Amino acid sequence: MNKKTEEKNWKLSYSQMIWRRFTKSRLNLACLIFVLFLFLLAVFAPFIANDKPFVIRIDGKFYFPLLRNLQPSDYCIFLAAALTVWYLLRRTPNGGKLNIKNQISKLQCKIQKGMPDSRYSNFAFLYVILLFAFLFLIFVLIFVFVPRRLDAVDYKEMVASGKATDAIFAPVPYGYARTELASCRQPPSRRHWLGTDDVGADVLCRLIHGSRISLSVGFVAVGISVCLGVLVGAILGYFGGWIDFVGMRFVEIMMAVPVFFLIITITAFFPRSFLNIMIIIGVTGWTSNARFIRAEFFKLRRQDFVQAAVSLGLPLRSILFRHILPNAVTPVLVNATFGISSAIFIEAALSFLGFGVAPPTPSWGQILSLGVSTSGRFLWWLTLFPGLAIFFTVMAYNVIGEGLRDATDPRLSKAV
Amino acid sequence: MKQDKVLLSVKRLSVNFFAEDAVLEAVQDVSFSIRKGQTFALVGESGCGKTTTALSIMQLLPAGQSKIVSGEIIFENQDLLKLSEKQMRRIRGNRITLISQEPMTSLNPVHKAGSQIAEAIRLHQNKNAKQAWADMVEMLRRVGIAEPEQTACAYPHQLSGGMQQRVMIAMAASCKPALLIADEPTTALDATIQVQILSLLDRLQKEIGMSILLVTHDLGVVYKRADVVAVMYASRIVEKAPKGQLFAEPFHPYTQGLMQSLPRLGVSVKRLQTILGAVPDPLHFPAGCKFHPRCPIGRKDRRCQTVEPELKEVQPGRSVACWYAPGCVTNNQIRNTKIN
Repeated sequence: MNKKTEEKNWKLSYSQMIWRRFTKSRLNLACLIFVLFLFLLAVFAPFIANDKPFVIRIDGKFYFPLLRNLQPSDYCIFLAAALTVWYLLRRTPNGGKLNIKNQISKLQCKIQKGMPDSRYSNFAFLYVILLFAFLFLIFVLIFVFVPRRLDAVDYKEMVASGKATDAIFAPVPYGYARTELASCRQPPSRRHWLGTDDVGADVLCRLIHGSRISLSVGFVAVGISVCLGVLVGAILGYFGGWIDFVGMRFVEIMMAVPVFFLIITITAFFPRSFLNIMIIIGVTGWTSNARFIRAEFFKLRRQDFVQAAVSLGLPLRSILFRHILPNAVTPVLVNATFGISSAIFIEAALSFLGFGVAPPTPSWGQILSLGVSTSGRFLWWLTLFPGLAIFFTVMAYNVIGEGLRDATDPRLSKAV
Repeated sequence: MKQDKVLLSVKRLSVNFFAEDAVLEAVQDVSFSIRKGQTFALVGESGCGKTTTALSIMQLLPAGQSKIVSGEIIFENQDLLKLSEKQMRRIRGNRITLISQEPMTSLNPVHKAGSQIAEAIRLHQNKNAKQAWADMVEMLRRVGIAEPEQTACAYPHQLSGGMQQRVMIAMAASCKPALLIADEPTTALDATIQVQILSLLDRLQKEIGMSILLVTHDLGVVYKRADVVAVMYASRIVEKAPKGQLFAEPFHPYTQGLMQSLPRLGVSVKRLQTILGAVPDPLHFPAGCKFHPRCPIGRKDRRCQTVEPELKEVQPGRSVACWYAPGCVTNNQIRNTKIN
């Protein structure tokens, strides 16, 4: 039985092999599904929790307040999500499960006969430029033409007073920025499933919208730190010698600095914006990535294929990032997964301490802090639910990171 | 020898390697020249400095651990040692290319075989992606790959050793280099594939008109392919001769020993001769001629044990570094070296 599976493994690509090992554990799969669920929640947050109805009839006319009140950031998130999905589908390796895509790529291969690698197609570069120009245009259009102000109409009031009919509300019919002082600090009830906070906003709604902050902080901060780490690590590892010596001492100095306090200090100097927090977490977190990449480059730079690339006269850029980096990227991917969870954690901690995003914008850490600080009374629902959200998200990322680490570790795969 | 026909001339090249606290003289005073269209073989045991010589022509020696101490490498009328890294990059892979010993590890596992060749073509010949891909497929066909398009899309681990070496050769020959350095091109291959690869190199050499620097320890390969042979022993060239003459009548005792250790077809020998002793430790080379402890003459001769012989031309086109080679010993030389 064991032999059979091993024979089968020869036919799998590297990514398929890792996928198979990763999904062997149910817990890994459950955590992956949980993270995907969080993503869906974050992307579609305005459709799930919103005080504007999808459709409403006022004086016999139909209006679509929810769509009209989508913010530029919402559109950007939709666009980013759509691009991610498109990219993932496009990158599915041959023999993957997405057969339609496979067929299309095979068809393309037939059309451009003798030129099956899309990287070398004549227009690839042009496509990329056009794509970026197009995206830029869309972003400009979004920011110019989408109104940034929510309308102040209370549609629920209109429905209650009979001015409007036929309203269809989102499942959680509350706005994250809507204050309702009459119903503040209420424990969970049928109206507010997870209770309300000190200004009367629905906690469930704020949790859902807060997931956007947490996830994007995680991804953008880790993106920044991975880019920085790869750049520094690649240069240190490839050149070695005194460059490596000086660089590694610098990295060690950076690692010796207590990052959390550094972040708190920096946030005190900069305006409390969501973007600043992402950048600060990213800029302070690159050291471990740099160390991983450096170690891998150190190992790989004397490999024959790197020597062969040098002997072909390829430029340094190509040697570093096209020939060495793809062979070195696995530990960084694993590390990045842990990085995401720690970035989420740091963001929650910052918001808890009041250094995070400014109040109308929801964040898990911020809701958490409301549970203890305000009136001396312990509002358990304000602490428990965001706490659980943070806990499960961080745990899911850590489990995924560990699963990936085990799946990519060749020693463990032989032992099984 | 006309100067304009010489493609590469290496003059008195010395390379040192730096171990922790010792200096290792990997190449000492090596000089040779390769003419256009010629195959020049560098033969020797492991560690005798033949690969180091080849790598120093490409300037691919490990930066921190080695240094070219002296010498000139003149290629197409410019000294490669004086070029900047940028200028050198334009020569590497374009005018001089390298086939290395291990085709399995010399191809990048994460890229398709074809894309690695196409990248070099794009870079050096200013071709666009489509043309480069077409050139690459044509090149694969020329190195005898039956289904070039499929092979181009395959990853290195999906190819056999012979195929991988063909891909490597295609990569090296794709830019029509003036000089191809083949570092043990057949060592990792089966005997049958070796013959195919050698004849492939032969054919490509005729088509492109390139010179080949063949680095090998395999005298069979040398006999089959080389025009001129240089035998290296302990960091130096000990004998340099046209192939026919070398195999017919080797002058240096080391070369003689090598020839005697070869089995020959049709000659029945009970026991092949071996060369006594082992290669000297590069950190502690013997004084005098480095071959003297293993040499039937040198073991008894004082001069061999104290004074190292220079490489001298003893016949037109033949040079030997041995006091006892025919036509080598003159009283003047002996007197001079003793005074020095």
